[in-house]
Amino acid sequence: MIEISGLTKTFGSGDSAFTALKDVNVTIAENEFFTLLGPSGCGKTTLLRSIAGFVDPTSGSLTINGDDILSKAPYDRPVNTVFQNYALFPHLTVAENIGFGLEMQDRPKAEVQSVVKEMLELVQMAPMADRMTSQISGGQQQRVALARALAPKPKVLLLDEPLSALDFKLRKEMQIELKRLQHETGITFVFVTHDQEEALTMSDRIAVMNGGRILQIGGPREIYDHPAERFVADFIGDTNFVSADLKSVEGDAAEVHLPSGQAIEARSVAGGPTSGAVTIAVRPEHATLTAPGALLDGTLKNIVYFGTDTHYHIETEARSTFVIRQQNQPDSAEDHKVGEPVGISFNPGVAQVLRD
Amino acid sequence: MAKSRAFDVRRQSGFVFIALSCFVLLYLPIILLVVYSFNAGTSIAVWEGFSWQWYVSAWQNEKVQDATILSLIIATCASLVATTAAVMAALATTRTTKFRGSGLVFAMINQPLMIPEIVTAVALLIFFAMIKVATGYTGLWYLIIAHSAFCIPFAYMPIRARLQGMDLNLEQAAADLYGRPWRVFRRVTLPQLWPGVLAGAMLAFVISLDDVVITEFVKSAGQDTLPTYMLGQLRRVITPEINAISTVLLAISVALVVAFYILSQSKKQ
Ligand SMILES: Nc1ncnc2c1ncn2[C@@H]1O[C@H](COP(=O)(O)OP(=O)(O)O)[C@@H](O)[C@H]1O
Ligand SMILES: [Mg+2]
Repeated sequence: MIEISGLTKTFGSGDSAFTALKDVNVTIAENEFFTLLGPSGCGKTTLLRSIAGFVDPTSGSLTINGDDILSKAPYDRPVNTVFQNYALFPHLTVAENIGFGLEMQDRPKAEVQSVVKEMLELVQMAPMADRMTSQISGGQQQRVALARALAPKPKVLLLDEPLSALDFKLRKEMQIELKRLQHETGITFVFVTHDQEEALTMSDRIAVMNGGRILQIGGPREIYDHPAERFVADFIGDTNFVSADLKSVEGDAAEVHLPSGQAIEARSVAGGPTSGAVTIAVRPEHATLTAPGALLDGTLKNIVYFGTDTHYHIETEARSTFVIRQQNQPDSAEDHKVGEPVGISFNPGVAQVLRD
Repeated sequence: MAKSRAFDVRRQSGFVFIALSCFVLLYLPIILLVVYSFNAGTSIAVWEGFSWQWYVSAWQNEKVQDATILSLIIATCASLVATTAAVMAALATTRTTKFRGSGLVFAMINQPLMIPEIVTAVALLIFFAMIKVATGYTGLWYLIIAHSAFCIPFAYMPIRARLQGMDLNLEQAAADLYGRPWRVFRRVTLPQLWPGVLAGAMLAFVISLDDVVITEFVKSAGQDTLPTYMLGQLRRVITPEINAISTVLLAISVALVVAFYILSQSKKQ
């Protein structure tokens, strides 16, 4: 279990000081596939390198299974890293690369050999054991980097955008492969990515970061269905933002009044507002197109056919655009026309009140 | 840059002439030196036919033998010491976070390139004279230490270049895989650095082998290196034997410099 609390990192000092991590608090459970998701420059690598020991946090604490590791050098921490550019040793063979961690731990030769063999098979690289790392493809280098980090059986594996250099097809394969490896080894994975789809498909839980802060932590469904902040809603998937008036909050349920005057139950957010003007978020596929006189009314401005679904762009009475995404049925005809007045409807509890 | 019709330095009047004169001035004397080392006569200016005799006579000359051995001992020791120091200096100036005065350290390492050699020579002469008086030691170590000192910047340059070109991530990956600093250095940094170390050592060797000024000032009686022996001979009768020795030195230097060039061009993996 990794416990991080109040972690802050400021690079430089004086005028050039830059705070890359701001009061980061997170607890990562054993055997969890935990993802740090956020745009480039938000501090993901800095957080990962703080765990590995290559960044010295300005303040805060970091423990693994109760041991304070901030005072330890990288070589004394029970974590291994898969570097973004792999950082394979160019003067060593594939097998020597994989055995490097065990060699440094002075494990017996026989043990090193058998673990290397096991790892080569795990990542399906056995036929290439004696190649130099410059003689294998990018995807294969990726596997070797993974095997090298897994070989010493660390408590935690840190992966910094390990798939970003791979092409689309290989990336999809490796996503499944990584999930399988995590399942088989039972090691905690802390995975960094800026790709929201990758985060949603692979993770047990996701921490969404921006500007050095963790904005929200939750399972993929929770993050997607109930984003807590505008940034999260915007960064993950597509969202409609609607201004509304928050009347009351009772636990998870919030009563909001829409600009049309209609009232609906929305989901409240922890630590958020309890009354007044708020923004609510509604996913395009969570809303349906109806006749006028619904929760929100507007004019149909555009219909875009996507094969699997159709997008309806509606200009609401408040002059903002609302998109509805509806799944297509086979051989159905389009029964809406651009320019006609339409209504927008969604179920109680679907709209999410945002924190800011 | 694309060749422009309007300006091509090769078409400027006088360019070919000046370029050719430079080449002639640079290489003609050396070519003549080499050619006359094969002279059958005793003159270094009048050609009397081809012969290997001066190589044979140099080879059999005991003074030349002694000077050669001394030169090789000093160059070997000095390049070892200088290269070791240069590796440490290069690590300190590239692998530590910038510390106060790191610019000064850089300047001090390269001091021998900036201070006139004759000044260093006089300073060393006086300094070593004081030590000689105090200790009575008159051995070879004065020369080895002096040579080591002025060879350091030459060894330092290629090593530092190689270190700077190296991927820092590799050392971090090794530390991440439980490598303690010394083992990371031996198992990851040094193998990567090796071409730079060899290149630096070879350059230092050539520089040491070639030195006259500092050696002449620092040496004790009877401690002639090949260059100072040749200098001494020039004051007496000059025979093509000097040419022969020079030609051999030239061949060794060229071989080492070519090897240095190949090493420093070797693919940065
Ligand atoms: N050593 C450093 N010195 C100064 N600023 C840094 C340093 N490392 C990272 N930063 C800054 O910290 C911010 C976060 O960087 P990083 O953690 O690499 O982001 P991410 O991995 O999310 O793209 C960036 O703005 C970056 O410029
Ligand atoms: Mg990064």
